[in-house]
Amino acid sequence: MTAVTTHPAPPPQAGRRRVLRAIAAGACVALARPAEPAREHLELALRETFGQRPIRPGKVRLELPKLAESGNVVPVTISVESPMTERDHVKSIYLFAEKNPLPRILEVHIGPHNGRAQVASRVRLSTSQWVTAVAVLSDDSVWSAAREIEVTVSSCG
Amino acid sequence: MTAQSFEQTRRDFLVRTAATTGALVIGFKLPATVLAADGAQAPEVTHWIVIQPDDTVVIRIARSELGQGTFTGLAQLVAEELECDWSKVQPEYADVNEHVRRNRIFKDMSTGGSRGIRDSQEYVRKAGAAAREMLVAAAAQQWGVAAAECKVANSVISHPSGKRTTFGKVAAAASKLEVPADPKLKDPKDWKLIGTSPARFDIPDKTTGKQIYTADVRLPGLVHASVVQCPVFGGKLKSHDPSKVSAMRGVKRVVAGEDWVAVVADNWWRANNALKAMPVEWNVGDNGNVSSESIMQFLRTGIDANDVPVARKDGDVQSAFAGAQKVIEAEYYTPYLNHATMEPQTATALYKDDRLDVWVGTQNGEATIAAASETAGVPLENVYVHKMHAGGGFGRRGPHQEYTKQAVKIAMAMPGIPVCLQWSREEDMRQGRYRPVGIIKLRGALDAQGNWVGWHARQADQSIIVTVRPTMIKDGVDPINTRCFADNPYAVPNFTNEYAMRNTHVPPGFWRAVAHTNNPLARECFIDELALAAGKDPYQFRRPLLQGKKDLGVLDAVAKAANWAQKPARGVHRGIAVVDSYGSFTASVVEIAMKGDNTIDVQRVIVAIDCGYICHRDAVVAQVQGGVIWGLSSAMHEEITIKDGRVEQSNFSDYPVLRLAEVPPKIETILVPSGGFWGGVGEPPIGAVIPALCNALFAATGKRVRSLPLRHHGFTYAT
Repeated sequence: MTAVTTHPAPPPQAGRRRVLRAIAAGACVALARPAEPAREHLELALRETFGQRPIRPGKVRLELPKLAESGNVVPVTISVESPMTERDHVKSIYLFAEKNPLPRILEVHIGPHNGRAQVASRVRLSTSQWVTAVAVLSDDSVWSAAREIEVTVSSCG
Repeated sequence: MTAQSFEQTRRDFLVRTAATTGALVIGFKLPATVLAADGAQAPEVTHWIVIQPDDTVVIRIARSELGQGTFTGLAQLVAEELECDWSKVQPEYADVNEHVRRNRIFKDMSTGGSRGIRDSQEYVRKAGAAAREMLVAAAAQQWGVAAAECKVANSVISHPSGKRTTFGKVAAAASKLEVPADPKLKDPKDWKLIGTSPARFDIPDKTTGKQIYTADVRLPGLVHASVVQCPVFGGKLKSHDPSKVSAMRGVKRVVAGEDWVAVVADNWWRANNALKAMPVEWNVGDNGNVSSESIMQFLRTGIDANDVPVARKDGDVQSAFAGAQKVIEAEYYTPYLNHATMEPQTATALYKDDRLDVWVGTQNGEATIAAASETAGVPLENVYVHKMHAGGGFGRRGPHQEYTKQAVKIAMAMPGIPVCLQWSREEDMRQGRYRPVGIIKLRGALDAQGNWVGWHARQADQSIIVTVRPTMIKDGVDPINTRCFADNPYAVPNFTNEYAMRNTHVPPGFWRAVAHTNNPLARECFIDELALAAGKDPYQFRRPLLQGKKDLGVLDAVAKAANWAQKPARGVHRGIAVVDSYGSFTASVVEIAMKGDNTIDVQRVIVAIDCGYICHRDAVVAQVQGGVIWGLSSAMHEEITIKDGRVEQSNFSDYPVLRLAEVPPKIETILVPSGGFWGGVGEPPIGAVIPALCNALFAATGKRVRSLPLRHHGFTYAT
C-alpha cells in the first residue's frame, strides 16, 4: 500500500475555485475540476525527488516577494528551524517552481558543519506561480512551505 | 491619484502614513477618494468606483495614460453600465500600494500590447453593472419596493410611484451590499456612451502646457540628478572621481551603481554639467568590439545556416518551388530603432522613515512598485507609487524600470530628500531598449497562371521575449518575432517560416507594434514583387487568398476609398498593404508623387481598421493618425547604429524623426468595426503603412527598396 503523500496545497484563490487536494493512500480524489497542469508538474517533480515520502507543511520558512518586476532574478531565502547537531540537522533544502519548465530549481545539501539551515539565492521564475520549499531532515522526515508570487507581465508583448 | 496639480502652495493636504501619527507634508492633491467633506472615506461601490455625496463618480483606472486615451476609454466602459451622469465622472489612477495590499484587486496594470481596453473591458464593465445594481438595490430597499421596478439614468434612480434619489445619497448604503457576482451587461446595440467621443480628460492640460509630468513634480527640498550608464551595454563602472566635481556649484552628491554613476545637484543643468565634467572609466568587456557591420555578419549566419528552427510549415515548399513556373527571391533588412519618447526616462523618489514614494510615468504600476521595493529593500506595503501620465510610452516604460531603480538607489543614499532623476536626451538615445535589427530572406513560387503557390520566409533577428519571458520560446522559435509570417492570413498552400535567433549585446525592447513594424515591410513588399512577376495588380493578387478573412474587409475598404480600380491622377502613384495585429485588422493605401528623383511627396494615406467594437471613436482615429506618423517616420528617417559596442546616435539631430511639415496633408481613417470582438488600437494602425509607402515608391520610381531607412537610398520627404 502506498504511503499517504500530502504536500502543501495552495489555498483557494479569491475569484477562482481551486480545490484543496489531499491524495489519500493510492486512491484518486475526484476533483471538482480537472487537475491543473502546474500542480501535476509539481507533483511529478516532488515524486521524482522524494519518492512516496510524505511531505508535511511546517518547519520551513520561505521568504519570497509577493510581486517581482521580472522573473529573471528573484531573491529568495529558505530557512529551517533546526539545532543543526549531529543527531538533529537538515540534510537538504530544495526549491520547486511549478510553472518553470524544470520545476526543481534549487538543491542544496548541508550538514551540522553549516551551523545554520539557511539558503539565500536569486532564482529565475518563468511566470507568476506557486513556489514550494522542501527540507529533508536527518531523520528523513520531509517538511515544506509554499508561497505565491506574481511576476509582472511585460508590456507590448 | 489624479495626475493633476502637485503644487505645494495650494491646498496642502496631510498624508498620514500607516506607521506615524505625524504628517508627511508632500504637497500634492490627494486622490479624490479621500476628499469627502467630513474627512471620512467616500464609499466604494465595488472597488473600482467611489461615489461622493455630491454625485461625483470617481472611477479607478488601473492602466496608464500614454496619450492613447485609455484613461478616458476605461472610464467610458464603466460609466456605460453604471448609468451615471458622465459630466460628474472623475477618473483617477488606482492606487498601486492599495492594489498590492488588497491582493492585486485592480488586476493587470500593464499597458502594452494594445490591451488596455480590450483586456479590461469585460471586468470593468461588469464593475459598472454591479455597482448600478447595488445602488438600485439600496434605493429599492429604502423605499420598500422591488429593484426591478426602478429606473436608472444619469445617476438618478426613480420609481413609478414618484420616488426619486441620486447615486450620492444611496452610495453609502449600496457600499454595504454584497457585490453581484455576474451582473448582466448591456447589449452593444444599447450603448449610449461606448462608441462615442466624449471630451478626453487628458487633452486640455496637455494642449495648454498645464499637464504635470514627473519632471514637473515639485516637492519641498527637491534635488535633481542626471545619470550616465556604461555606453557599452553589459559593461561595468570601473572608476569615477567625484572629487573633480563635488565643489562645482550646486552639486550635492555623487552616487554610483554597478554600471552607472549619477550626480545630484540643486538643478538638473548643474547636475548634468558636473556629470559631464567628472572623470569616469568603464570596464566595457568584449562587447566593445561590436559594430553594426559585425551584427550584420552575425545575422547573415542565421540566413545562411543549414538547419534553422521552423515556426510554421504548410504543405511542401520544396515541391512547390521545383514545379514552379517562376521563383523569385529577395532579402529585406531593418535596423535598430529607439522609442525616443518625448519625455526622457524620469523618476522621482523619496525615502523617509521606512516609507518609499516614487513618482513615475510608468506603463506598469506593478512593475514599478516591485522594482522599487526590491531595490530599496523596503517591503511592498511601504512603497507608494504615484503614477503620472507619461510623455509617450510606446513600450519603453513598462518592462524596463532602470530609471526607477536608479532614482530609488539615489534616494536611499539621501534619506528624507526627494530626488528627481531625469535622463538626458543623449542618455535616453543611447540607453534605449531597441526594436531589434533583422534580415528576412524570402522566396516565392508562381505557377504558369501566375498563382502564388508557395513561399519560404527565413528570419534572422534578435529575440526580445528571451530577455523577459524566455519560456515563451519553444524549440528555438520566438512567437512574437515570427508574427506576420507564422500567423499570416494568406491561403497559400505551401509555406515554411524559419526563425534563426541571433541575439546581440544591444538590449532589445518592445517598440510600438513590435514585429509588426519590420516584418510587414518584407511580407507586403514581397507580395507586390510576386504580383509584379505574375503580371497582376497587387490588390487583385491578394484578394483570392484572403477569402473569409477579416483582412479582406479592410483591404477592400482602402481600395475602394482610393478608387483603386481607376488609374490614379497623372504623377500620383499608389501602394497597398494589409496587416493584422493585436486582434485588429488594418490595411493601407499610400498615394505619393515624386518631386524630382528623390523627393517623396506623401499626399494621402488611407488606413482602414477593423477593431471589432470601438470604445472612444476619436481616440481610435487619433491612434490611426499617430500610427501613420510613427510609420512614416521610421520608414524615412530612423536608425540606431552601433560602433565600438555603443550607440552612435545622441539626439534628434542624428536620430531624426518625422517633422510637422512632412506630415501628409490627408490622413484618412476608415473605421470598419465589424463588431463581435474587441481588437487593439494603439499599435495596429502602423503595420500596413510602411509597406504601402514602399510599394507606392516602386510604382513611382521602379526602384524596389528592401532596407530602411529610405534616406539611405537618397530619398527625402517633401515639406
